[in-house]
Amino acid sequence: MAGVSTKEIKTRIRSMESTRQITRAMEMVASAKLRKAQVKAMACRPYFETLYRAMWDIVDTGSDFSSPFLQKKDGNKAVFVLISGDRGLAGGYNNNVQKLLLSQMEGKDAAVLPMGKKGADYLKSHEIKMLTEQYTQAETVSLGDCFSVAKQLCKGFKNGEIDEVFVIYTKFRSVLSQEPMCLQLLPLQRSEEKVSKRTQEIVYEPDGATVFDAIVPEYLGGVLYGALCESRASEQAARRTAMDAATENAGEMIDALSLQFNRARQAAITQEITEIVAGSQ
Amino acid sequence: MKDFSLTIVTPDGLAFDGQAQELIVRTTTGDLGILAGHVNCVAPLGMGLATIVVDGQKRYGACIGGMVSVLNGQVKLVPTTFEWSEQIDTARAALSENRARTVLADKSASDTELRLAEARLKRALVRKSVAGYK
Repeated sequence: MAGVSTKEIKTRIRSMESTRQITRAMEMVASAKLRKAQVKAMACRPYFETLYRAMWDIVDTGSDFSSPFLQKKDGNKAVFVLISGDRGLAGGYNNNVQKLLLSQMEGKDAAVLPMGKKGADYLKSHEIKMLTEQYTQAETVSLGDCFSVAKQLCKGFKNGEIDEVFVIYTKFRSVLSQEPMCLQLLPLQRSEEKVSKRTQEIVYEPDGATVFDAIVPEYLGGVLYGALCESRASEQAARRTAMDAATENAGEMIDALSLQFNRARQAAITQEITEIVAGSQ
Repeated sequence: MKDFSLTIVTPDGLAFDGQAQELIVRTTTGDLGILAGHVNCVAPLGMGLATIVVDGQKRYGACIGGMVSVLNGQVKLVPTTFEWSEQIDTARAALSENRARTVLADKSASDTELRLAEARLKRALVRKSVAGYK
């Protein structure tokens, strides 16, 4: 009886060991990828921030030209750009952005543009309308792709096909903390208090509306690319943390099983000795 | 000549951050020169040569897309791509030019393909011409 159970425990320990090996390898891969993604996200950040600040400086201090991008529309046809991962096993990374999407989508006539396979699969299984499936591989989306998406969205916005544009991504705070975020890209809304503080005039070359029409798609593309870089770094960080925890848990289970195994073995030996002693008497 | 603070940022990182005396960039409506004390101004960028004078030395770069803004003496150049003339990979530009030319010569190419090839050709030509400035 004891023999059977020690054998069972042994197989379980062995399978646990191979699981641990896999999760450890995945953690190592994620760490290496994280380092690369982090460098990229950091390199991209000044661009993202400068673009964002320059854009808002213009919006807040600008003269009173009426660009279609500044007008709030009455409809509620919204487009969400959902940036998720291509693969699972990254803790709550994919789940968090999906949850955020659902809460933001409420009450809106929404279409979603997924970047990342996991997000696209989720939309498919929940039968949520997708704008295009061209960019479902988040790994391979390039800067140029971001700009063509931006152009497409701006065109739709101007035509009146789209009333609002949001991007849902994961902000990379640190290796240990990532936060799902929803950012409104269009329309650009001025904050009232800042508008009243407007003091200086800005010269637009050739004129305000033209400048705006040219700059807004650039801005959108830049922000999308920035969000993508942040999300990629976040994905790797989330996977690393999840795999680190999994490796640790596997280790704990192996320790507990080893203890159980040794106890069972000891019990079997003791029993055998007792039987021999009893037989010889 | 007076200095002004100039920042050049691209999606690939910070290209320049410091004091400059002069900046000439190609906007969509033509070349725009900026000196210290320039009036607040915003312009979208075209594709072309950017000349920057730092410590009396001229530096050249290929500057494509994006925008330039001058606000309270702060000059921000936010292009989609920016390469200093000495960093340009001429072999790659030539390759890209050839690829674009084959697409343009192809009569069966679709409209979008033609547009993309045209943009690629323009970029390649700008890079090649800027690489000559040293």
